[in-house]
Amino acid sequence: MKEIKDKMIAQIKAVFPEAVNKDYDGNRLDLTVNKEAVPSVLLYLKDSMGFRHLSHIAYVDWIEQGEFELVYILWSPLDKVKLYVHTRINRENPVIENIDMIWRQANTYEREIREMLGIEFTGLVAPDEFILEDWDDIPPFRKDFDTLEYVNRTFWHRPGREDAQDVRSTISERSGEEIPDFAKKYSR
Amino acid sequence: MREKATTIYLGPQHPGITGNMMVRLKVIGDTIVSAQTEVGYLHRAFEKLQERRNWLQGFTLMCRFCVPESDPMENVYARSVEAIDGREVPERGKYIRVMVLELARIATQLMWYAGQNGSLGLYTMGQWSIGDRDYILDLFEELTGGRVYHMYQWPGGVRRDLPEGFTDKVLRTLDYLEKRLKDYDDLMFANSIFQKRTQGVGIVPKENIIEHGVVGPVLRGAGIRSDIRIDEPYEVYDKLDFEIPTQEGSDIWARALVRRAEVHQSIRIIRQVIDQMPSGEYFNKFPNPLKWIVPAGDAYVRVESGRGEVGFYAVSDGTIHPRRMHLRGAAYVHAITLLESILPGQNIADVSAIMNSLGTCAPEIER
Amino acid sequence: MYNDKNSKKIVETIQNWARSHSIWVLAYGTGCGAIEISPTMTSRYDAERLGFRGAATPRQADVMLITGYLTVKTVKRVVRVYEQMQSPKYVVGFGSCTINGGMYYDSYNTINLLDRYLPVDVYINGCMPRPEAVLAGLSKLQQIIREGNANGAEKYLENLAWYKENQRKIAPNWIAKAPDLNW
Repeated sequence: MKEIKDKMIAQIKAVFPEAVNKDYDGNRLDLTVNKEAVPSVLLYLKDSMGFRHLSHIAYVDWIEQGEFELVYILWSPLDKVKLYVHTRINRENPVIENIDMIWRQANTYEREIREMLGIEFTGLVAPDEFILEDWDDIPPFRKDFDTLEYVNRTFWHRPGREDAQDVRSTISERSGEEIPDFAKKYSR
Repeated sequence: MREKATTIYLGPQHPGITGNMMVRLKVIGDTIVSAQTEVGYLHRAFEKLQERRNWLQGFTLMCRFCVPESDPMENVYARSVEAIDGREVPERGKYIRVMVLELARIATQLMWYAGQNGSLGLYTMGQWSIGDRDYILDLFEELTGGRVYHMYQWPGGVRRDLPEGFTDKVLRTLDYLEKRLKDYDDLMFANSIFQKRTQGVGIVPKENIIEHGVVGPVLRGAGIRSDIRIDEPYEVYDKLDFEIPTQEGSDIWARALVRRAEVHQSIRIIRQVIDQMPSGEYFNKFPNPLKWIVPAGDAYVRVESGRGEVGFYAVSDGTIHPRRMHLRGAAYVHAITLLESILPGQNIADVSAIMNSLGTCAPEIER
Repeated sequence: MYNDKNSKKIVETIQNWARSHSIWVLAYGTGCGAIEISPTMTSRYDAERLGFRGAATPRQADVMLITGYLTVKTVKRVVRVYEQMQSPKYVVGFGSCTINGGMYYDSYNTINLLDRYLPVDVYINGCMPRPEAVLAGLSKLQQIIREGNANGAEKYLENLAWYKENQRKIAPNWIAKAPDLNW
């Protein structure tokens, strides 16, 4: 496994010298590229290195650094290597190249990311809405979106929920039943 | 004369077992000319909620990703945390996990038997297989306390040891199921209506099938021997002896045969697991869950569920809350891009059968 | 003769008794709870022996099972389906998430209190309720139908403005465009 991975790194470095790699145990290999290089790197990995299966496109909001991270996870059925391609996008102007002509299913991921983080994919052809309907707040998976605050504003809570009281005391009062000693320990 | 296409909305309220989703079909006569999936009816934002909860609280959320099979989701969450944290699982814990996963696979396929036949109008199968699935749920209930959601596998092992006499009950249930599977064959695979409705219907094109993100029984139904259990063995699958069934047809019939063979293989795996089950600890202790800090890092782990590859990407920034959790379900690709591309040219009556055969699971798509 | 108060009461009692034994449940799985409907309906628990069976379309159905959390997008469809159903009609809230949001209480996309949007006749608690609990809840529904207390649909019509206001709060664009009670 180690030799295969070393060979892969050498091959990638020969074509994309600016790519940064990080090695892990097992069949994992990490690669960090800048966002302009993403389509060409992915196309090369797919066509020339056997990473035929796009397993996942994950997204992370690193609000402290002012960046979004996209992680393309590829799988090579022949070499059994799992490759993570990381890229960072500025939070102020989040635009990245669309890759759904390389893998068709990336279209779905990109629709989700566009809706959940607000990243624009240049050239993405898809309906505007994916999961949410008539959403008028900031994209919900951004870290600065507070879901509890939104819930308080939009929905109601059943009374009795916010004091977080143990229901056992209420039930015992109502039915006149004693709480056993061992259970009292856990009551708030 | 040029015929005008009509738009038909299949769902969200429809009696299929695939869940609460919609397919917008454009049809001419009975034939579909274009299809578009619309999802979002079950979006609960688990991954957002998880950012407000600590690592252990994740268990109650993570098992709820896909309702018919909760155990692969638990397993993938537990293993992703273990991968970041470097936590070991004792041998017995691994064996118990494999047993639970395979029982879950049988339960899923029994649910699929009902759904696949229900979509073709053969409701007797549902009465049988859902009833038999309940025997497996009874086993789960005895082991974990829950019928559907178990919250059983956690980082470092499993929550509870096997109760006394549990393995005998499992073996007895398996014997019973093996007898029943013969009846299923008579009712379903020997049924000429089932054969006619499934053979040559819902064909997934074989060229570039891996590039299209097709996984699991759909990929194996197209003749490609691919399974996470052998590609990237997790738990103790590398010590077990089992086969990966494949078929060549790439239609609903081929996928049905693959799933049928998988049930037999799962029974075989569970028997081996019970034979080889070591004694000893079933979990390694972890620190106080309220103050449990997982070191910074990320991990993507995969598991073979009954419908195909399920992947889970977890990121920790070294606090008591996870930074990000992200699940990739098999249906995420199958029910959207794949379904949209194979539906044109099919008959309206076959849509629900095709959706079932692709392993559509709506709650997993939108999470 | 039929306008006589006593005979009206007798007719109503007989109607309610008959209704309680032939309840058609709309097959609409709105959330995770739908997974426990299939065991309830099939051979092991067999709800059909109590008179429950599935109905494919809202116009034929008597009961709407809200099987779990409702997302904002689903609420709109559920309200529409509910208004399409013919009276007498009943709603059963299924699972903790319909009662108080359950484990999704802080999710931006799921409603917390179902009874603000639809009149609920019976709640079944649990996450998720076992088939026995479902049967118990449905038997309770039969009981209150027999007693003539299952009047959720009337409540909905009486307080239509309040329900519509709540629905409009989560779906401002949708309800404005949609016709009221006239699907």
